[in-house]
Amino acid sequence: MRPFSYIVPRTLSEASIAAKKPGALLKAAGIDVVDRMKERKHDATELVSLLPLKDRLATIASDGLGVRIGALATLAQIADSKDLANAAFAALRESAGIAATPQVRNRATAAGNVLQLARCWYLRSSDLQCLHGRDGTSCLAMVGDNRYHSVLGYLDCVRVHPSNLAPALLALGCDYSTELAGKTTRRPLRDLFPTEPKAEADEHTLLPGEILTAFHVPPQPMGARSAYRESREKLSFDWATTAAAARVVIEGGVIKEASLVLGAVAPVPLDRPDAAKMLVGEKPSDELFVRAAQRAFVDARPLSHNGYKPQVGMAVVREVLHAVTR
Amino acid sequence: MTKDLHDGGAFSRRSFLKGASAAAVGSAALHANADAHQDGPKSYAQGAHAIALTVNGKEHRLQVETRTTLLDALRDTLDLTGAKKGCDRGACGGCTVHVDGLPVNACLMLALDAQATQITTVEGIGRPGHDHPLVLEFARCDAMQCGVCTPGMVMSSLHCLQTNANPDRASVQRAISGNICRCGTYGRICEAVAGAAKRMQGEKR
Ligand SMILES: Cc1cc2nc3c(=O)[nH]c(=O)nc-3n(C[C@H](O)[C@H](O)[C@H](O)COP(=O)(O)OP(=O)(O)OC[C@H]3O[C@@H](n4cnc5c(N)ncnc54)[C@H](O)[C@@H]3O)c2cc1C
Ligand code: FES
Ligand code: FES
Repeated sequence: MRPFSYIVPRTLSEASIAAKKPGALLKAAGIDVVDRMKERKHDATELVSLLPLKDRLATIASDGLGVRIGALATLAQIADSKDLANAAFAALRESAGIAATPQVRNRATAAGNVLQLARCWYLRSSDLQCLHGRDGTSCLAMVGDNRYHSVLGYLDCVRVHPSNLAPALLALGCDYSTELAGKTTRRPLRDLFPTEPKAEADEHTLLPGEILTAFHVPPQPMGARSAYRESREKLSFDWATTAAAARVVIEGGVIKEASLVLGAVAPVPLDRPDAAKMLVGEKPSDELFVRAAQRAFVDARPLSHNGYKPQVGMAVVREVLHAVTR
Repeated sequence: MTKDLHDGGAFSRRSFLKGASAAAVGSAALHANADAHQDGPKSYAQGAHAIALTVNGKEHRLQVETRTTLLDALRDTLDLTGAKKGCDRGACGGCTVHVDGLPVNACLMLALDAQATQITTVEGIGRPGHDHPLVLEFARCDAMQCGVCTPGMVMSSLHCLQTNANPDRASVQRAISGNICRCGTYGRICEAVAGAAKRMQGEKR
């Protein structure tokens, strides 16, 4: 790691002002940040630590029927949270509880998980330059070894969004709050991700110095349930190769509402409203789920090394739909 | 480094590393404390700082740079070499220590972030003349080959037993799922944890 100075803010606005400076980078637990600094891919000259604000930002609390997840709540906290015990919130517990390893989950924060840099091996190598890293002229994965890269929704860069938690939060229709220089803003979570995930676009829409403070899970009606499933090469340690989070509301055996979000297959967590719509008004059945899964991947454009992803991804969608209607 | 050489100690990789890190601290400006500004947040400038870490119940004063990881502080400065540096990227579990009672990767935690926490390393889990039941059972079951993963395995197993006095095999497997053993001794590790659970229940009776 190159040397850096380390800032200990006392308040959110101090953190926000410090993080706005050129060369500054916010750090939560630092699992992704320290990794990037060790690779010398990120040369921050100042790290602004959010951990001193843990007392205020690390709680998970029910407000009404909804739940507020503080930005610094850990994946382990989410996986075991009593406030998230309801079947409606299962996707959150499941996605957090199988991410990474127990050691990582004990420190990794919710915001850090959603905002971690893409795991592309070209992007993260200090020996290589690419367009998304802003030091090269093209996406190296587009023509290189792209076995873990996008099959959907990509433009000129085929990185995938690596977060376990993001698809689950999106499927549940969450909002997020931020603080920038004393101003608090609350928006729907989809606004956190670029609508056109170009190579030169950031992976999220936060402004310099803008701090994510919480995710808000909305109140869930009776009969609401959610689930998260993923495919991976190893049972532990590994990021997903494909992932799906689903939420349904079931009344009298019929699906009344549905949402479906894919992870690890596109540069952003990918909402699939057309596939979800096919479920509404129907009774759960394997035949229905197979058709919805096909719909979710209908416009897939696999690259040279990831032809397996639509096949495996469809199986994961079918599985998550069975899980959520079981 | 000089001391090791005078003592007739071999010029080991460890003594070299220790010498190098001492030299780095010596040449950088040593900041006695973080600068506290009236009009801004406290900050630690690049370079070395004196901090306190509580390890195995004892407070240590030591010098670290802002970029020093907890793992490097433990191994290179405090001479607690139980935690191992396998990958330095959170991908092997060799560096597992407990911070405030939870297993974490010391390689991905900045030493500055470990201030004001309770750190437990494998060196701190027994009492003098009284080995921890896990240590006895790892030895009895021969639950290691090269032994590099063992300190991390012990720390993850310890947390498993602290949260569940009588874990089934699946819980043990889950507890050590962040620790890699290149020698493939997982089966015997599971036996050792089961044996330690029995021993600890016996001790309580
Ligand atoms: C071995 C291993 C396996 C892993 N497997 C998985 C996996 O299967 N699934 C998965 O999802 N992840 C996985 N991860 C990634 C891990 O979950 C993330 O690195 C972690 O969640 C990051 O959280 P953090 O608190 O350490 O964030 P940091 O590293 O501190 O920050 C990450 C990024 O978010 C920004 N940031 C953090 N908090 C805020 C905030 N409040 N406001 C604004 N910006 C912020 C930082 O500036 C930085 O860019 C794995 C990691 C390892 C080491
Ligand atoms: S050295 Fe820390 S996990 Fe490998
Ligand atoms: S005993 Fe060699 S790595 Fe586990």
